[in-house]
Amino acid sequence: MIPFLARKRAPLVALLAIACTGLAAAGCSSSSSSSAATSSSSSSSATASASAQPAGTVNVAYASSLQYLNEKVVGPAFTTAEGYTFSGRGGASGDLEADIASSEISPNVFEAVGGDNITPLMPKYTNWYVQYAGTAMVVAYNPNSKYASQFKAIADGSKPVSDLFTLLQTPGLKLGRTDPNTDPQGRDFTYMLELAQDYYHLPPDTVAKILGTTDFGTASSSQIYAESALDSTLQSGQLDAASAFVTQAIQLHLDYVPLPLQINLGSAAYAAQYKKALITVKSGTKHGSPQVIDITIIGTPTPAAISFVKYTLSPAGLAQYKAGGFSLPTPKVFGSTSSVPSAISSELGG
Amino acid sequence: MTGASWRLRSASSILSVIGAGVIWLALLGPVIALLAHLDGSAIASALTAPGALDPLVVSVESGLVTLGVLFVVCTPLAWMLAHGKLPFPRIWEAGLLCSLLLPPLVIGLLLVFMVGPYTPIGELLAHLNQSATNTFLALVIAEVYESAPYYVLGAQAAFASVEPRLEQQAGLLGDRPRRVFRRVTLPLAAPGLAMAASIAWARAMGAFGAVIIIAYHPAGLPLEIYTTLQETGLASALPYALVLLVVALPLPLAAYIWSARAGRRRRG
Repeated sequence: MIPFLARKRAPLVALLAIACTGLAAAGCSSSSSSSAATSSSSSSSATASASAQPAGTVNVAYASSLQYLNEKVVGPAFTTAEGYTFSGRGGASGDLEADIASSEISPNVFEAVGGDNITPLMPKYTNWYVQYAGTAMVVAYNPNSKYASQFKAIADGSKPVSDLFTLLQTPGLKLGRTDPNTDPQGRDFTYMLELAQDYYHLPPDTVAKILGTTDFGTASSSQIYAESALDSTLQSGQLDAASAFVTQAIQLHLDYVPLPLQINLGSAAYAAQYKKALITVKSGTKHGSPQVIDITIIGTPTPAAISFVKYTLSPAGLAQYKAGGFSLPTPKVFGSTSSVPSAISSELGG
Repeated sequence: MTGASWRLRSASSILSVIGAGVIWLALLGPVIALLAHLDGSAIASALTAPGALDPLVVSVESGLVTLGVLFVVCTPLAWMLAHGKLPFPRIWEAGLLCSLLLPPLVIGLLLVFMVGPYTPIGELLAHLNQSATNTFLALVIAEVYESAPYYVLGAQAAFASVEPRLEQQAGLLGDRPRRVFRRVTLPLAAPGLAMAASIAWARAMGAFGAVIIIAYHPAGLPLEIYTTLQETGLASALPYALVLLVVALPLPLAAYIWSARAGRRRRG
């Protein structure tokens, strides 16, 4: 009986083996080094009407802070409105820029936090970009915390914002932030504290007292959480306050203290001031910069890419950004304005 | 046996071995890819940096503490499950399966509700100057929760494989239950327990989902791979994966070999 079964199973084993060979080959040949998240979406309505509308896909590489907006709002709305399929890839702006520069990825459109992540791609991949939205640092807080009333008083203006930085030094107050070595928000929070210390003429050890260390770049602090864990830990009531971008706070319905433009990294007008804030992390010393969003087309503009940028800069697209908590400065072209596709220029009123 | 049927059986055996070999290689695909993409100089520079081996120490220490906790806390539970000492055994087993089915990330998120600083457990720990978030204790808690179901279910199977007749005979000869357990049950179940422990060890060493939520530091090897990947890229992160394999493999391998030998001895 057993030999019979063994004979019967042999072809099955061989069949499985053949099926698995492909998997093994795939495992051995993979050379991708990107840790970026990828996705693609196409609404059913768009699929149904694909024959009547333009066909094609726009591949968009975007900063992680735009993930929710692109994947859940702008991408599907663009597909419905224009008929093109949206395929997104999120990652840190600097990483995406490096991946594009090394030709590891070839998106049609690149949305970065800060134009300094696009200029290194000039002129090989693009020679223009449009600045069109911005986000800013806030301090999110737990509404059930014993400090909640004090946070609320600062948030609604009954107490000055400078009090926030005294409150954050309270012994026993549980503050959460992300790793400045791996997450831009972790660095931005430190820049914000440094800017606040200067702006409000606070004692020189204010930042160190709030962070609980003089080594601002260390990851070994009980305040540091993974990006994926920080908001959930705050929401579960196990932190009193946490760093956040305003867009994230709005998206997750967090209570937060808004901060003035001089320290919140939310305005390109204060770029020179922001640059004075610095942090030394494992990869070197980094400086503060405005959290503005810039968009460009990489390589030869495809109809889908032009359509996506045009849609993003249209009143409908910008309204989606506004609803997501982004600020909307007047869109401004940097670089060679004559290289901007005419459909996009006309959307900008050019 | 005719020549034709011998040839058929022989061809069938060869086909089976080839098939098994290909499946084995396919399962090893990620390991082969790791070895194929490792660069000697990258390994040297990654592992000779100051503090580079700290995550290894953290992983080994937390893994050993986790195994200790599992032995002490979960072995009696597995024994009781195997011997039907608990009422409504299916409910107990379903509970274990629930923990097994929950994604580790979700376990981490839920552990925050259990042991976070403002929970009763967290506040009790604070009185003792301890914390179950972002500490070594938090790392052990996360590893215990990720590996415990594997250990309990494996240990339950190991205890269930012991012939009840032998335990009964030892009892009839006057041995008290504790002595029966020590002299009969434990030695006979030991190979299976070793296998369960080796699987739990592998889970603890590779624990990531729950760890990243409640124990961002001290960083063990899995978290170090993740943060290094983000900080300096794949070339610097991959050497840690090799270290993880080299350090984590000997214990389960030894348990596997010992278990197989014990099984052969028992069969005679």
